[in-house]
Amino acid sequence: MLTMDVACPKCKFTISIQGNPGERIELTCPECKIHGFFKFPPESSTQQTDDVIVVKNLTKYYGKIKGIEDLTFTIKKGEIFGFLGPNGAGKTTTIRTLLGYLSPTKGDAYILGKNIADNMVDIKRKLGYIPGDLNLYGHLTGRQFLNYFESLRNTQLPLLAELLQVFDVPLDRKIKGYSRGMKQKLGIIQAFMDDPEIVIMDEPTSGLDPLLQQKFYDFLRHQKKKGRTIFFSSHVLSEVDKICDRIGIIRNGSLVALEDVDTLKQKMGKLIRVKIKEKPETFTGPKTMKRTDDWIEFVTNDDIDYWIKQLSHYTILDLEIHEFSLEDIFIHYYEGQT
Amino acid sequence: MNTIFRLKIALQTMKDHGKTTLILALLFMAMAAMYAGMFPSFETMLLDMTDAAFIESFPFLPHIDQMHTYVGFLTLELYNIFWLLLLAIMVGFIAASSIAKEIEGKTIDLLLSNPVSRKQIVIEKFVGLIPMVIIVNFSTMVVVMGITVALNESLNYANLVVVHLISVLYFLAVISIGVLLSAIIDDKMKASIVMIAILVGMFVMNSVSLMTADYEALGFLSFLHYFDTFTVLQFGEVDGVGLVVFIGVTVVCLIVAMFYFEKRDIEIT
Repeated sequence: MLTMDVACPKCKFTISIQGNPGERIELTCPECKIHGFFKFPPESSTQQTDDVIVVKNLTKYYGKIKGIEDLTFTIKKGEIFGFLGPNGAGKTTTIRTLLGYLSPTKGDAYILGKNIADNMVDIKRKLGYIPGDLNLYGHLTGRQFLNYFESLRNTQLPLLAELLQVFDVPLDRKIKGYSRGMKQKLGIIQAFMDDPEIVIMDEPTSGLDPLLQQKFYDFLRHQKKKGRTIFFSSHVLSEVDKICDRIGIIRNGSLVALEDVDTLKQKMGKLIRVKIKEKPETFTGPKTMKRTDDWIEFVTNDDIDYWIKQLSHYTILDLEIHEFSLEDIFIHYYEGQT
Repeated sequence: MNTIFRLKIALQTMKDHGKTTLILALLFMAMAAMYAGMFPSFETMLLDMTDAAFIESFPFLPHIDQMHTYVGFLTLELYNIFWLLLLAIMVGFIAASSIAKEIEGKTIDLLLSNPVSRKQIVIEKFVGLIPMVIIVNFSTMVVVMGITVALNESLNYANLVVVHLISVLYFLAVISIGVLLSAIIDDKMKASIVMIAILVGMFVMNSVSLMTADYEALGFLSFLHYFDTFTVLQFGEVDGVGLVVFIGVTVVCLIVAMFYFEKRDIEIT
């Protein structure tokens, strides 16, 4: 059963109707009494693919210099995807190739089911973007800038009022007088104001103070709940850890990890730190075990029970078991590989 | 397609140049008033000066033999140098930085995050500069008319209107070259310098072609060869080839700019 809002073609009065996909029903407008038929869309067109961004073997060379190579990944609807990598790894190149600023040397990508090679204008109707190196029109005031972009979007701006409340900027001041944080806020406002399906952001929290970052994360979580998709690059691991569902790690232009944050952490195992009354040397742990000061440290995957039972023969002064932070994971991927 | 006809980028370009347009208009109105108004005080002196030796010593100036007439004076002093060269340089400078400044200033990333095509940006940047040309052009024309009436000099007003109509085409051709350069060269200063070099080069080529018969063919490469303000103003003779050249250059430059800009990588550093 589908529920749809139908506007009367004559007087624009809206009524809510129910029916099955493909069903044709007779309607009379309660306002102007005009008579007509309405056909519900067939099942196939109401089904939508879950992958809003599909990237296949995307490669970009700047002449002979490698930007990115053979990137393949998909991003699902309603997902917050974190794109991690140190400076110069290819994050910005990936984003700018996806958005059509750079044409791929090889491979292709689809956003909302449309090929980026020939549907960029259509795609951008449903997409917001915050550039990493954000530069706004300095000679305009914040208000003039937003008005200009509103006229270019040519659509409703359902989130503008809310955004202006959360990210308060001096709208009547010229943008060239804005601080870095104010500019970043204006960048966020323009990207989200028309409530786009997807927002792509290149290090969006740089320049925001911790309080604003928190507000921004809350806003992103709220957008996610509505089914909006967020793709953002970052090198701030704690923020990725806080809000991302899935991450991709890029190193030297290639994807080295693509995983759920939770799965990734599970795979990495747990870190056990223990302090015993006996001499630390008397305890034999796994090969990777390290002894620092009085602490014994080792990583375990799925045999916590075994190690706890081993430790039970000792007098335990202190014990910590915790997950790997994303930072540990990140360092793990980069260690020895650079 | 409907987004293109909304011309919002053009409108913004127009607004951005509002002040420049006003300043240019006032500047050229003042210049027109000054040169036209100066004529009576120079007339007798010019009559004495314009002998065969004088004419021979300035072979590169078109219609120097007519300098003692009102039309000749206007053409030489106002139209040839200030209008066709100086204003063209100013307008060309602005056009050459139109797209380049968005790339250099990195605002192109945000502009293109809207549902606008790159071809549309090229066309709208061009369209957005048209009002400036029209305003400066016709405000100057009105001043020339006013001064002429005040001085009670003889001037064919219909011909004056024709000069300014052809000027619109001339400046549009200049702008289209500027927009093309702007679509190719990221650095706005570099684009503008190339533009100025082209305009000055054209001026020099025309002067050289007037000076020596051997280099007459060089003149065909110059816009000035196709737009003789004196013959239009005095005799109402319009060079049909010139109109075709101006319109042709405009169309070709814009098409090349559109396709080049559509395909190129926009790198920001």
